[in-house]
Amino acid sequence: MDKEELKQKIIQIMEEKVKKGGKTKIYLKDLQREIPDANPREIKNAANELVREGKLEYFSTGSTVMFGLPGVGMGLEAGVEKPE
Amino acid sequence: MGEVKKHDTPKVDQLKTGPWPSFVDDIYSYAEKHKKQACFDIMGQMELSYINRETHWKHGGIVGVFGYGGGVIGRYSDQQEKFPAIWAFHTVRVHHTAGKWYHTAALRKLCDMWDNRGSGIVNFHGSTGDIILLGTVTDQLEPIFFDLTHQLHWDLGGSGSNLRSPACCMGKSRCEWALVDVQELDYELTMAFQDELHRPAFPYKFKFKFSACPLDCVASVARADMSFIGTWRDDIRIDQEAVRAYVRGELKPNAGAFSDRDWGPFDIKKEVIDLCPTKCMYWDENEQKLYINNSECNRCMHCIAVMPEALRPGQDTGIAILIGAKAPILEGAQLSTLIVPFMKVESPYDELKDFIYKAWDYWMENGKNRERIGELIQRIGLNKFITEVMGLTPIPQHVRVPRDNPYIFWKEEEVEGGWTRDVAEFRKRHPA
Ligand code: HEM
Ligand code: SF4
Ligand code: SF4
Repeated sequence: MDKEELKQKIIQIMEEKVKKGGKTKIYLKDLQREIPDANPREIKNAANELVREGKLEYFSTGSTVMFGLPGVGMGLEAGVEKPE
Repeated sequence: MGEVKKHDTPKVDQLKTGPWPSFVDDIYSYAEKHKKQACFDIMGQMELSYINRETHWKHGGIVGVFGYGGGVIGRYSDQQEKFPAIWAFHTVRVHHTAGKWYHTAALRKLCDMWDNRGSGIVNFHGSTGDIILLGTVTDQLEPIFFDLTHQLHWDLGGSGSNLRSPACCMGKSRCEWALVDVQELDYELTMAFQDELHRPAFPYKFKFKFSACPLDCVASVARADMSFIGTWRDDIRIDQEAVRAYVRGELKPNAGAFSDRDWGPFDIKKEVIDLCPTKCMYWDENEQKLYINNSECNRCMHCIAVMPEALRPGQDTGIAILIGAKAPILEGAQLSTLIVPFMKVESPYDELKDFIYKAWDYWMENGKNRERIGELIQRIGLNKFITEVMGLTPIPQHVRVPRDNPYIFWKEEEVEGGWTRDVAEFRKRHPA
């Protein structure tokens, strides 16, 4: 699988999860589990490249990091409204 | 600004009465001087937490700056009405230098930036090692990142499922015991693994720490997933005349470090020989001579620290690599385990990098979410990790008490004929 195919596959997995009402944020490990025939390091590189392209975004509590589709599910400023 | 609102904080103020300088004084005097509402609000929220006995911080999902998976940790107050200036109070981790040496000019610039773009509160340093800038709002994150990287030429540190900012002792910059140049090693590996530092790659966090000698001032054995510790493989150098001078009381043990109290005359047997963890030392009273069985010495450096003028480490130096320390999350706390007793380290450190990649590749593929590498080793067994994963030959020193356990587990390929046998043939020789 070349990098472009891998990137498409990642987006496809994320979109399908959301469509099925599943999780909107996903661990890198879970992506690796979904794509067993690709090398974990390549999946990492592809997912991080998607973030640079703005097609995925990071979601972190400071302790671990998850990947999500921008604008889907809990936003970056989860449950936080800036008071006027 | 002008108008700032100070909260009533009697419980927090009590902290000022103790014997040590208090952060309460510091934060209040800074807040008054700079008219910082966020600093007053943080004290107010702390007072509330002391009253309610629970935290009023909630976790946000914010990550921070574009393209980086770590370095900024989102925090929000759940008391937005009471303390609006800290509705968002994000932490920025700034990558510290190797050995934590700074030029005051660089620190002034950093502080000016932070006066301007944040709460002004800093912590030198957080547990991992980074400079911690405490408290800013979301809109300031990208400008802070720009200023740090483009004006000050500093970078963010690691957080999340990344390589965390590596840390080392001051090593050769100040310490005569340094056996390898850990500052160079720290810098070199930090630069080599920039991608792992800033972009999530792992099931969970991963920490490197480097100590230039076994006294391990950065406590790498307790705090790092991979500890690199300076060591030697030839013999401890002994100056017998200096040993006798210690015994006669002419030289102060531990270079006088514990002289604030009278411990009585120096007793080489009690303070050195009997405390050697491998019992490999012998003091011959008649000969007035110290013997060390170097093949049993595990290079703990205790004896050297007690009698620094008499004993010195060997001169064939390198590093020992230990893996797996962690605080309790999935499993209890553990110290790291010796994996490689000795490796020569020379720039560009290819052998070391290969070793690291080997451990990471296996962990990335087989680790569970939030499972540290030390827990993975516990799950699969140290034996399998050493032999199959890292491709190393086990040695007795890998086993904590090698002579206690008489059982040796052979693999099928190690046994002639494997596990199968011809029963009929066997019974011919051994009737049932
Ligand atoms: C060089 C010769 C031998 C060595 C080094 C040896 C060593 C051992 C060891 C290490 C154990 C296990 C002890 C434990 O459970 O902690 C053992 C158990 C035993 N050995 Fe030996 N042994 C030797 C010869 C023999 C011989 C000649 C016999 C009988 C003819 C024998 C009979 C047994 C029996 C019955 C057990 C107990 C097995 C069990 O726990 O089910 N051993 N031996
Ligand atoms: S770990 Fe060793 S070399 Fe490093 S500062 Fe401490 S005593 Fe010195
Ligand atoms: S370095 Fe430690 S193990 Fe080695 S001889 Fe000295 S006290 Fe014993």
